Amino acid sequence: MKGRLALVTLVLAYLCLLPGFIGQMKERPIEVKLGYQPHARVIRLVSGEFSPLVAEMSVVNLLFYYGTLVDKWQKNIIIRPEYMNMFRMLSTVSELDPYNQDAYYFAQAAFTWELGRVKEVNMLLERGMQFRTWDHWLPFYAGFNSAYFLKDYAAAAKYMQRSAELSGDTLRTKLASRYLYESSRTSMALSFLDGMIAREKNAAVIKTYQVRKEALQAVDTIEQAVLAYRQAKGGNPAQVSDLVASGLIKVLPRDPYGGEFYLDNDGRVRTTSQFANPDQR
Amino acid sequence: MSKFAVLIQVNLKTILRDRILHAILGAVVVGLLLVPAISSFSMRQVQELAISLALSGISFFLLVMAILLGSSSIWRDVEQRHTTSVLTLPLSRTTYVLAKFAAIAIFLLGTGILLGICSIPLISVAAASYPSDQPILWGNLVVALCGDIAKSMLIAAMALLLSSISTSFYLPFFGSVVLYLCGSASQEVYEYVTGEFVRAMHPLVIVIIKSVYCLLPNLAAFNYKVQAVYALPIPFEQIAWSVGYGTLYVAMILVLAVLTFNRRVLG
Amino acid sequence: MNPILIERISKSYKGKKGQRIQALSELTLEVKPGEILGVLGPNGAGKSTTIKILTGQIPPDSGTVEILGAMAGSMQARSAFGYLPENPAFYDFLTPREYLHLVGAAFAMSVDRIKSESDRVLALLDLQTDSDRPLRGFSKGMVQRLGLAQALLHDPDLFIWDEPMSGLDPMGRALVKGLMLELKRRGKTIFFSTHVTADVEAVCDRVAVIVGGRLQALNDVQEILADGIEGYQVQILNPSAELAARFSASEDNGVMTELYVSREALPGFLDLASRGGEDIRLIEPRRRNLEQFFLDIVSRNQR
Repeated sequence: MKGRLALVTLVLAYLCLLPGFIGQMKERPIEVKLGYQPHARVIRLVSGEFSPLVAEMSVVNLLFYYGTLVDKWQKNIIIRPEYMNMFRMLSTVSELDPYNQDAYYFAQAAFTWELGRVKEVNMLLERGMQFRTWDHWLPFYAGFNSAYFLKDYAAAAKYMQRSAELSGDTLRTKLASRYLYESSRTSMALSFLDGMIAREKNAAVIKTYQVRKEALQAVDTIEQAVLAYRQAKGGNPAQVSDLVASGLIKVLPRDPYGGEFYLDNDGRVRTTSQFANPDQR
Repeated sequence: MSKFAVLIQVNLKTILRDRILHAILGAVVVGLLLVPAISSFSMRQVQELAISLALSGISFFLLVMAILLGSSSIWRDVEQRHTTSVLTLPLSRTTYVLAKFAAIAIFLLGTGILLGICSIPLISVAAASYPSDQPILWGNLVVALCGDIAKSMLIAAMALLLSSISTSFYLPFFGSVVLYLCGSASQEVYEYVTGEFVRAMHPLVIVIIKSVYCLLPNLAAFNYKVQAVYALPIPFEQIAWSVGYGTLYVAMILVLAVLTFNRRVLG
Repeated sequence: MNPILIERISKSYKGKKGQRIQALSELTLEVKPGEILGVLGPNGAGKSTTIKILTGQIPPDSGTVEILGAMAGSMQARSAFGYLPENPAFYDFLTPREYLHLVGAAFAMSVDRIKSESDRVLALLDLQTDSDRPLRGFSKGMVQRLGLAQALLHDPDLFIWDEPMSGLDPMGRALVKGLMLELKRRGKTIFFSTHVTADVEAVCDRVAVIVGGRLQALNDVQEILADGIEGYQVQILNPSAELAARFSASEDNGVMTELYVSREALPGFLDLASRGGEDIRLIEPRRRNLEQFFLDIVSRNQR
């Protein structure tokens, strides 16, 4: 009897404690850290048959980490991300499981725009192409990177050709050539981003793309206005506010990265944010 | 029924009636049920991750069972004096050892197939939620599952061999764990020493490593997970080599176990 | 053909610190058809070693053992007897019936025969109600009875039992003693080890005493019992003065007097008592029983 009474008392006390405890646990800061990962060869030896799974779990871990960062960025909390560590982890993953597409796609998503490590990303994509011989997206990304970031049109054409062959989509070669020779860089990037967003399911990555897209759309709007201004007035506007003043734009678009748009001496649209989060500048 | 069949039956009953086994099996089934949820965390590899998780989960379960069952078999019978009553019957020690292995092998095969069937709907659900650009080659999955089952049988045979020598849990358990780890890594090490870094090593070291490589079980031979996950082609020849290698290796280990146990003085 | 023929077997073990322990030396023993032979000996005398050699669990260092003409340890020899190990241990996830099935299969019995014989031996050892319960929950005595049941299953002509009475309650002991006598009546041979002399007295035809790995005595039990009578305990109601003077009273409570009469003096005592019309209530032989016989041998060897 005494024992039962004690048990009931303890259970009741526990139930009383729980809400407060859970609330307090929620308040605790989440440790946003990627941690250290050993050398790929060591992991391969230890994980043996499970190395593809270890690889994928590392990517998932990375995605979680990235998700918390994007979350913080939206709340304007800036945490210095472990970019070096992230990239090292991705190349480790590609060594553990060279077929893992998440590694390549995430590298494309996170390391090109924000960090400008396009050469490294293209090397990773090249590695992926050796294994994922059927995957037409990898050469497509590499092609886009070559054209948009590196302005290496010859390499880009080669990649795009390969992508077109793999996808069996002849339109893509045409599309590619249009990208490369006819379009402005901004609309090239915009249609690339649309494609990426449509195929993406990770919320954090989509968010990154959307912010980028918003910025590029703003640039596009201003660029169009500059073009119209030039046609109307035969010269470049001195500053972006001239566009509003002349009625070509109603309201100046906002830079989602928190910067302010301005025009350089050649009339190109620039922003004080340099299209990056404050910590990456 | 033959003596052999009845002994297998008895051993199977002993395996199946163990509560610890029920607990582990329950945990694995719960784990498998989580496969669709966990695989949704991937960006584009939902289907791939689901297959990888299901196969790895089954493989890990089979591995744990092989090590536990194999390494708690013969020495425990000796220690608990079951052998006094069983081996004084007109049953040969050879029959006894082979029946032990057969029971474990049947168990591994049965649970492997069962868990494999369980994971079909789970993989399908995950794959349907975010279709991959690669198809699911169910034939590849079957090959991978059979590879994992074969691998666990080989480990069980190893553990059985060690437990036929041992008088306690430690040697067969840790011995088979170490053999598993070495067997998983042996191909990797072999490729390393025969590859780019070969010049940096003393030739004698390479000879030693190569001979150890030949002695150790090569578990990479049974690993078809990558092919199953990414729907890569599996040449028939590769499967045939694996089957031949596995059969011979297991037979060798079993003969060794029978010989050592026949020489062992009990009582 | 003798059921068991042991000829000059020796066995030594490696003991602690590398020294060798001689468990058996030059043991020779013959078990005749239809007899119950009990092996008596203190702990560590070599009884268990003998049984292990008989059942083929260990080979002797030298000497030979034949079981119904077959080499001990051979498949033929192992098929010929029903063996009960000392404190038997069986796979405890199995039920008695399942275990008996294994035993029956080992003796190449048909499924039908296994079924009918299982019913028979389970009934014989009073295990029917527990026959489908796993052995995990069994008491020591129940396991011992299952041990006997499995030894009886294939109805061999020879039984080798190591300490068959251990772990049994008085009812169980009585059951086993009755069983042994019944088997003997059916012409079976039983070879068993024990350290309880009363068991030997109750059922054995012959007793072998092993001490220090050697056979110290092999006797007919009835002869030992007969030879062992030293005198008689007599109770007389109000003995006459003459009788009381000739034989010293060991106890006298005023009504009943207890006298000790030696073996030699018995005829004289009976003569005197019948002449005096004494009221003899009880005459009980006082013998040097098997226990003393056994203890004498042991102490002689330890000296």
